[in-house]
Amino acid sequence: MPGATLSRWTMSYFAAACLFLVIGECMLAAGYGYPFETVAAFGTLALVHVLAIGWLGLLMLGALLQFVPVLVAVPLRGERLAGPTLLLVIAGLLLLLGGFAALAGATTLSPNLLPIGAVALVTGFALAAGMFATTLFAARPLPHPARFVAAGLLALMATVLIGACFAALLSGAIESDLLTALVVRGVPLHAALGLGGWLSFTAIGVSYRLLPMFMLAPDDVRPTTKIAWWAGIAALGLVAASVGLAVIGPSAMAGLLVLAMLLTLGLTVLYGVDAVRLYRQRRRRAVELNIRASYAAFVALIASVAMFALPAMRAAAGEGAAALVYLFFFGWLSGLGLAQLYKIVPFLTWLECYGPVLGRVPVPRVQDLVSERRASLWFCLYHAAVSAATFSLFMGSHPSFRIAALAQLAATIALIAEFLRARNLSAVAAASRVPIGVPRPHLFLPPFRPQE
Amino acid sequence: MEVATNEALAGAIREALRMIIDPELGRSIIDLGLIYDVRVEDGGIAHVTMTTTTRGCPASEYLKEAVRNCVWYVPGIEYAEVRLTYEPAWTPEMMAD
Repeated sequence: MPGATLSRWTMSYFAAACLFLVIGECMLAAGYGYPFETVAAFGTLALVHVLAIGWLGLLMLGALLQFVPVLVAVPLRGERLAGPTLLLVIAGLLLLLGGFAALAGATTLSPNLLPIGAVALVTGFALAAGMFATTLFAARPLPHPARFVAAGLLALMATVLIGACFAALLSGAIESDLLTALVVRGVPLHAALGLGGWLSFTAIGVSYRLLPMFMLAPDDVRPTTKIAWWAGIAALGLVAASVGLAVIGPSAMAGLLVLAMLLTLGLTVLYGVDAVRLYRQRRRRAVELNIRASYAAFVALIASVAMFALPAMRAAAGEGAAALVYLFFFGWLSGLGLAQLYKIVPFLTWLECYGPVLGRVPVPRVQDLVSERRASLWFCLYHAAVSAATFSLFMGSHPSFRIAALAQLAATIALIAEFLRARNLSAVAAASRVPIGVPRPHLFLPPFRPQE
Repeated sequence: MEVATNEALAGAIREALRMIIDPELGRSIIDLGLIYDVRVEDGGIAHVTMTTTTRGCPASEYLKEAVRNCVWYVPGIEYAEVRLTYEPAWTPEMMAD
């Protein structure tokens, strides 16, 4: 039967991702990294990697473990690698953080932790990309959403390989003029490939499948979707070409990057048009909270990319356009991630708990595992806090940034508590909470018994 | 006479399948139009052809198994065969209003 089964490790990835999000937001609220240090400071680099690898990277890998088979209706290849991959990525990230701490002056740690961590990260992400790529390869010709994921995987590997070059050079393990040129000019490209190519492109692809699925909207491929795909691929290609130019011919980089930015703006607008069309054509009248919160993330995406395209706004956004990167990271990517977790966690919990007894006893709906009224408050608080933090970065106001970051942390913890409540089946009436013969799901560890 | 009995059994199966809900949409799989065909042959042999809202949905196997169990418990049914198909693919237009 073509199809997908319940991913055993997805919940473990999600738990680790949420933990790193909380750690990262605690660092922000505690005054660690930018804007309290420079963008290039080792504290900022540590913070950025906790959030980009620990939070969004693990979240995306966990989601893909479950949804790549849904995208292509082919079972996941090499699923047994999911556990080792999780350990390798976490270990690699911790080693990387140790390396940054050493460079920042922690004398008990060695800078050599950086390249060791990079090797673990490259291996972990390569294993993950291998699982997904072989699954996608088996499903050719790829449906449109899966093409975005395939391109995202290429961007992921480019990002981690460039990162590994940085790690080798910064630690002093390798000395090379070419690598030095890459570090001097390549950091924005590393960030663009990671946040734009890997995380955003993949998220856009998955959402082209999930939005019609959750809203019961037509999932036919429109001209806007096709043009969005080509615009995105062209932008990615230009950024990848710029990586080469950073080393051999930096004078031509600026023109390519302006073009890549305009293509990204085009992709974003077309994606927004598609999202509005799907919303209008939906057959499901009631729009659930995960969808409403996703649309808040789309607004953050369009706002951050549109402002980034304006040189004056970019200049006003602080060092490295930090305010806009913040809005992109927390408003768009993290906002979408939290919104989808709010649906995926109860959905997987439902499958684990009630799937085996469906048709034998009355079961609740997935929606009965959550309380939207309370969670909608947390999503409102989260997006208000992200907006306030972005505004504070524009204004250069450190105290108000810390207050906003604290509010964002509080909203995040409240949302994670909602995920845990769904996992614990707390909203389900006690009498029908756990059917006879079904083990209560583990909070975040995979089921030890093989799936039936 | 046997034909009428088989049709009555098919009707009983459809009625029994109303208790199975699509977990995401919270509506019965009958109302959603996920059951494409129910046929009963002499001897209480039931053939059900069904689909799911999304090809590759992780709930597919659970829904198929639920339909098999449910059909099996309809009085007069001796054997149940359930086939999952995506030809034609389900569309929201197949839902009952």
